[in-house]
Amino acid sequence: MKNLVLRIWHTLRKPSVHFSLGFLVIGGFIAGIIFWGGFNTALELSNTEEFCISCHEMENNPYEELKTTIHFTNRSGVRATCPDCHVPHKWTDKIARKMQASKEVWGKIFGTINTPEKFEAKRRHLAENEWTRLKANDSLECRNCHNFDYMDFTAQSTRAEEQHSTSLASGEKTCIDCHKGIAHELPDMTGVEGW
Amino acid sequence: MKLNRREFIKANAVAVAASAAGIALPASASNLITSSDMTKLKWDKAPCRFCGTGCSVNVATMDNKVVATHGDIKSPVNKGLNCIKGYFLSKIMYGKDRLKTPLLRMKDGKFDKNGDFTPITWDQAFDVMAEKAKATLKEKGPEGVGMFGSGQWTVQEGYAAVKLMKAGFRSNNIDPNARHCMASAVGGFMRTFGIDEPMGCYDDLEAADAFVLWGSNMAEMHPILWTRITDRRLSAPHVKVAVLSTFEHRSFELADNGMIFTPQTDLAILNFIAHYIIKTDRVNKDFVNKHTNFRLGNADIGYGLRPEHPLEKNAINSSAKDAGGSKPIDFEEYAKFVSTYTAEYTSELSGVPVDKLNALAELYADPKTKVTSLWTMGFNQHTRGVWANNLVYNIHLLTGKISTPGNSPFSLTGQPSACGTAREVGTFSHRLPADMVVNNPKHRAIAEKIWKLPEGTIPPKPGYHAVLQNRKLKDGELNFYWVQCNNNMQAAANINEEGLPGYRNPKNFIVVSDPYPTVTAQAADLILPTAMWVEKEGVYGNAERRTQSWYQQVTPPEGAFSDMWQVVEFSKRFKMEDVWTEELLAKKPEYRGKSLFNVLYENGNVNAFPLSEIPDDRLNQESRDFGFYIQKGLFEEYAEFGRGHAHDLAPYDRYHKERGLRWPVVDGKETKWRFKEGSDPYVKPGSDYDFYGKPDGKAVIFALPYEPAAEFPDAEYDLWLSTGRVLEHWHTGSMTQRVPELYKAVPDAVVYMNPDDAKKRGLRRGDLVKLISRRGEVETRVETRGRNKPPRGLVFMPFFDASRLVNKITLDATDPLSKETDFKKCAIKIEKA
Amino acid sequence: MKKSINALTKVLVTVTMFTTSFTAFSEGNEVATLRDSTAIETQKTPDAIPNVANTDIKQKRNYPMQPPLIPHKVRNYQVDLKVNKCMSCHSRNRTDESQAPMVSVTHYMDRDGNFLAEVSPRRYFCSQCHVPQRDAEPLVENTFVDMNTLMKEKQASKAEKH
Repeated sequence: MKNLVLRIWHTLRKPSVHFSLGFLVIGGFIAGIIFWGGFNTALELSNTEEFCISCHEMENNPYEELKTTIHFTNRSGVRATCPDCHVPHKWTDKIARKMQASKEVWGKIFGTINTPEKFEAKRRHLAENEWTRLKANDSLECRNCHNFDYMDFTAQSTRAEEQHSTSLASGEKTCIDCHKGIAHELPDMTGVEGW
Repeated sequence: MKLNRREFIKANAVAVAASAAGIALPASASNLITSSDMTKLKWDKAPCRFCGTGCSVNVATMDNKVVATHGDIKSPVNKGLNCIKGYFLSKIMYGKDRLKTPLLRMKDGKFDKNGDFTPITWDQAFDVMAEKAKATLKEKGPEGVGMFGSGQWTVQEGYAAVKLMKAGFRSNNIDPNARHCMASAVGGFMRTFGIDEPMGCYDDLEAADAFVLWGSNMAEMHPILWTRITDRRLSAPHVKVAVLSTFEHRSFELADNGMIFTPQTDLAILNFIAHYIIKTDRVNKDFVNKHTNFRLGNADIGYGLRPEHPLEKNAINSSAKDAGGSKPIDFEEYAKFVSTYTAEYTSELSGVPVDKLNALAELYADPKTKVTSLWTMGFNQHTRGVWANNLVYNIHLLTGKISTPGNSPFSLTGQPSACGTAREVGTFSHRLPADMVVNNPKHRAIAEKIWKLPEGTIPPKPGYHAVLQNRKLKDGELNFYWVQCNNNMQAAANINEEGLPGYRNPKNFIVVSDPYPTVTAQAADLILPTAMWVEKEGVYGNAERRTQSWYQQVTPPEGAFSDMWQVVEFSKRFKMEDVWTEELLAKKPEYRGKSLFNVLYENGNVNAFPLSEIPDDRLNQESRDFGFYIQKGLFEEYAEFGRGHAHDLAPYDRYHKERGLRWPVVDGKETKWRFKEGSDPYVKPGSDYDFYGKPDGKAVIFALPYEPAAEFPDAEYDLWLSTGRVLEHWHTGSMTQRVPELYKAVPDAVVYMNPDDAKKRGLRRGDLVKLISRRGEVETRVETRGRNKPPRGLVFMPFFDASRLVNKITLDATDPLSKETDFKKCAIKIEKA
Repeated sequence: MKKSINALTKVLVTVTMFTTSFTAFSEGNEVATLRDSTAIETQKTPDAIPNVANTDIKQKRNYPMQPPLIPHKVRNYQVDLKVNKCMSCHSRNRTDESQAPMVSVTHYMDRDGNFLAEVSPRRYFCSQCHVPQRDAEPLVENTFVDMNTLMKEKQASKAEKH
């Protein structure tokens, strides 16, 4: 085993015998692009709703719950897909989130939430993950669409205007502080701050 | 008096100046009225006008108007609470379109079936009614006249009507709208226990460890009982709630185990539970051996459609043959019968996962869990409704979980007096008061004796039940028809093919009594303006055998009279010779020349109590009209039937003092749990349990199979349609749609659809659609979210909306045993309109 | 074109229905107020689903015991075994932050009238008594008279007598 590793290391260290430097540089560059592109394409593919709900865990539980909410159907037809809220748009954050997501793959393989009952048992835990993330990033994924600077308070209900122009404006509160459970059912809220 | 801001400030300034100068100003100088002769409200109790829960409300009146209502804190039923409908009771009598004069279809000054509704006097109305009734009696005999009454009638109204029909006109063609509602429950009770109505009571709701809802959305339809279950579930965390339905609704919000099953497969689930109890050896053998019998019921009993329908012709035991037949079997045979219903088979049939089924069955099987089962229209409006009732009793009997606090198979009632009036008074086509039936000669003899009638007055053959009445109207065999206190043209199934052609058949004369111009009134020939709720004195009986009375508290609109007044007043129009045969009169010659009023209501019983028994400050329009305390007289004569026969009612006057009493009331004490020694005075000492409705004191456990629905989705009509109610409206909405707050809460009946079903048809929320069945179509709007969440393949539409008549498309298939329509299952398709 | 043919068929069908059916109604016979003068055989095109009023403006109660109506949307408000969304603003503990009206004190009473430390579970499902209103015009006017109006009338007539 050790020998095999050493042999490969040797080969890699040796200068090329058959290919020109130019070929290697350009070829390597192209291969890099293909790899990078492929990686990103695959990454993007995993950032679509189709991918998310290709697992029945997601289709039967959170997606089903989403269907009747305002983030799915509303007057202008602008709707949020799963990744809009659950995957960061910035590349570094996205990769960080994806690395986290590798854990979710294990969840899928071991069937951690493969029945509605199991999903229900994990609901608080899963929700808390999302709340923590959104709290930490100042509700970044909300703000990707709902930009504070462009809110027309006069078009909002009195209550909404009241809250947005004070707590939200001052930065004292962030979206997720008040808007929990807007796209999926809430978990057992025992002890959650503000409830 | 309205003050604007400036005047207000000015008035205040004057008041300050005046008080400083020590001058007393009249009370109106303050912005608050404080003088007690002004602010005093007159409070009195009444049962709520709406559902079978039977909440008590306090009613405030001022200047002969109801000005406020709230939940009665003294009532054990609701302890101060009301639902949204109950809180708006104050406004139900004040719709601007209250009817105040009889309206007759007329052309050229006389009745014409195709004429226009024209105001006439009460005298004219009774004249034309009497003329039509007499002509029908002459031509067709008693079978040609009929009446359709109500579980919302007061006890006295129902009782007066039964007497008029069964004794006066000698016709058993009287049936209540409770036929659409509770008939299967009655059938279930009679078949299993031999006596009607629940053994338990609402006290079970604070005692149970588990609740199972079988086809009942109590969160909307029995909201106050739901508050009691919620209270129990949330304050005692060990308590579990299981909810079964064909679609997800508000009651699922409290469910620990929510189950959506394919329509009709509740029968299989019930048998599965029995099998589970036997398989896991949790049968209460001692109880079963001492207190039960086993019987195998006839299967393949048809669907209560017209006899020429293929489904009826092909049924081995259709109602024409022996649908209700059964034969004795033993426990082993029963165990073998239910062993077909394994968890796997039942799961496959019903779509409910095996682990959920097992969890449900375990609630019943575990001897330590006290279970209360509750059901309403999911069971009763079912082509196998009596079976469903029988099957749930099986489970409680196998485990001995019955008649003790918290162990309770509890049939909930839809209407405020379905128990009190429809069932206990016996306003059904086959019944007499106190569970007696017309085809039993002994029962007829008892009734004839109490009513002081000659032997043979009451006809032995059951009359036309609700669905048959509509068919007979259409066929021109039922020609004089009086509808009181219900809105059957909106509420009955298959309006297009049966109801409407029946009412409009030129051979028929249709009278409709109602406070408001309903859909049924529109289909009538004569409309009679009717007094409602606290505009009259009456008695209601709720789902837990609680009898409650109320006084008249305001006068009805000028020209409107109660149903009871109408019936009794109408009886004055008939001489005995008009209605009875010479042969019958010969047995009671002293009745010759008398009127029906004399014989039925001035018979020494009904007129036994003088007006002096009514306090002077009490309104009582009817009694003062007739010259005796008629509500008391009718009640006391009726109570004769049940006293000493396990249906004992207290003296009438006591009900005015109590927040109701649960019968049997023996030695002044109400009964909470029947059939159990120690709590029911009718149980034989030493027997522990005594199901005394049956001659041998034993209840029956029935072996009955799963059988499919009358109609189910196919390639063309590809959706199940279920119909039902909503929290904010009472039945057909004739009262609640006239309360602006309730109307604006739920203005229209929409069709609740699964978002995927909508998408598949290119539909979205709010789309105008046509619901089409083999019988007709109705248009409405699509709703894909909100309180009801149907599974794919099923849609739900409520029937409260007079402008969107969903019963144009429903099927009038009935349970062949109970004759109750299945409003929960038919096949439709939905298209964009 | 197809549409107009459809419409024509509809008219023809309706006409046939009227002439061949058991009776032809004249306008004056459509007495069912809630059907807006429509014969039972036919149907008025259903109105669109009205929006929920979301003005936050309180409505006067008809009498002091009437449960207040909800002056805002409650779409997807979750009230179940896990959570009560309404109480996240209306519970006593939350009203300082939410500035929403606190639930009435009666809601803290159990069946026997004892005050509890928290809202009684019997009042858990708010929508059993409290409902939002839609922008729909009532079909029939209601002539209910407020007790205040009656008192004022009495007061006025008393003043006149003096």
